[in-house]
Amino acid sequence: MNENEIELKVQALVDGELTGREAEELRARMETDAGLRELHERLTAVRGLMAGAELPRTLPESGDFHWSQILKAVEHEEQEAKRLAKPAASANWWLRWVMPLAGMVCLVLVLSLQQTTMPDLDILLGSDHELELSADEIDVMTFNTADDAMSIVWLDYAIDLQQDSLQLWLD
Amino acid sequence: MPEKPAYSSAEEPQLVEWAKAGDMQAFEELVARHRDRIYVRAYSIMHNEDLAVDLSQNAWVKAWQRLEQFHGEASFPTWLSRIVTNLCLDELRRQKRARTDSIEAMEEATGPVENRMKLETVDPIEGLGRKELRERIDAALAKLSDKHRTVIVLYEFEQLEYREIAEKMDTSIGTVMSRLFYARKRLASLLKETLKRDGLIE
Repeated sequence: MNENEIELKVQALVDGELTGREAEELRARMETDAGLRELHERLTAVRGLMAGAELPRTLPESGDFHWSQILKAVEHEEQEAKRLAKPAASANWWLRWVMPLAGMVCLVLVLSLQQTTMPDLDILLGSDHELELSADEIDVMTFNTADDAMSIVWLDYAIDLQQDSLQLWLD
Repeated sequence: MPEKPAYSSAEEPQLVEWAKAGDMQAFEELVARHRDRIYVRAYSIMHNEDLAVDLSQNAWVKAWQRLEQFHGEASFPTWLSRIVTNLCLDELRRQKRARTDSIEAMEEATGPVENRMKLETVDPIEGLGRKELRERIDAALAKLSDKHRTVIVLYEFEQLEYREIAEKMDTSIGTVMSRLFYARKRLASLLKETLKRDGLIE
């Protein structure tokens, strides 16, 4: 134990923070160490001076003014708390009602767009012929006859759009 | 509910109960009774009049908001004192973040030099009134760094234990002991200087 640690222990003893065996050992050591005894006495004297030494003061503003400031701050805090609570309540309303509704609308839009948007197959329909194409998600087979002014297109979607295949009649 | 007597003559626990129920006048009476004490504690830590006033006001606002949490384990003034002390410590942390604490950093780094400083003998001085001695101690406290003054105030005036001070100051018990020891040495030295200068001691 170095000198500084011993000094701190003496201080702890003066402050009543050192108890039990450690306190007994230090007291025994102090009996034979005049320096430690002196330190103990001086620390005790400083503590004695400090006891109740907090200088009494009076608030440097009038009691009424001080209270008015506190009251103003309390009211301000309460208004802030209310203001913050309001958006939270409306946010809850949004979350409870509008958000699920918006979600449903989005879902319906996505599905309807997928159903109405046909893939651009870039097929020129001009003479009698059959054409079979294969894309990743769609199989297409067409029959075109200029005599009958008719085109038949078979679309076979791999993705589920309620119908596995569509038949389109084109002019 | 029983009829309320004049607030100024009501017992403190009763005032606290009324305030808890939302009675602002009861709270105003509590402020009137303890405002100086709360200000004194804030001033002892901050040693700045404007800050001490602001922090005292904040402490009362916090007290109003947290009244429900006061269950009378400690006295009402002690509870209030803890609130203002915590606000002061928060303010000191905020200040420390806002500036380079070079002087205090040097003081920490020069620990061995501090440790070699001798603890002066300062006995109670005959002929020096209690108020005068308090004023000299207050002036000496003002010359300590924030962290050394805070540890002294928390130990001597707020009467917290080493462990509690360490928790409040986010540091170890060893650091608290070391700061307290150094603060006492500095105080004793500063007091001795001022008493010598005034011819009160040889």
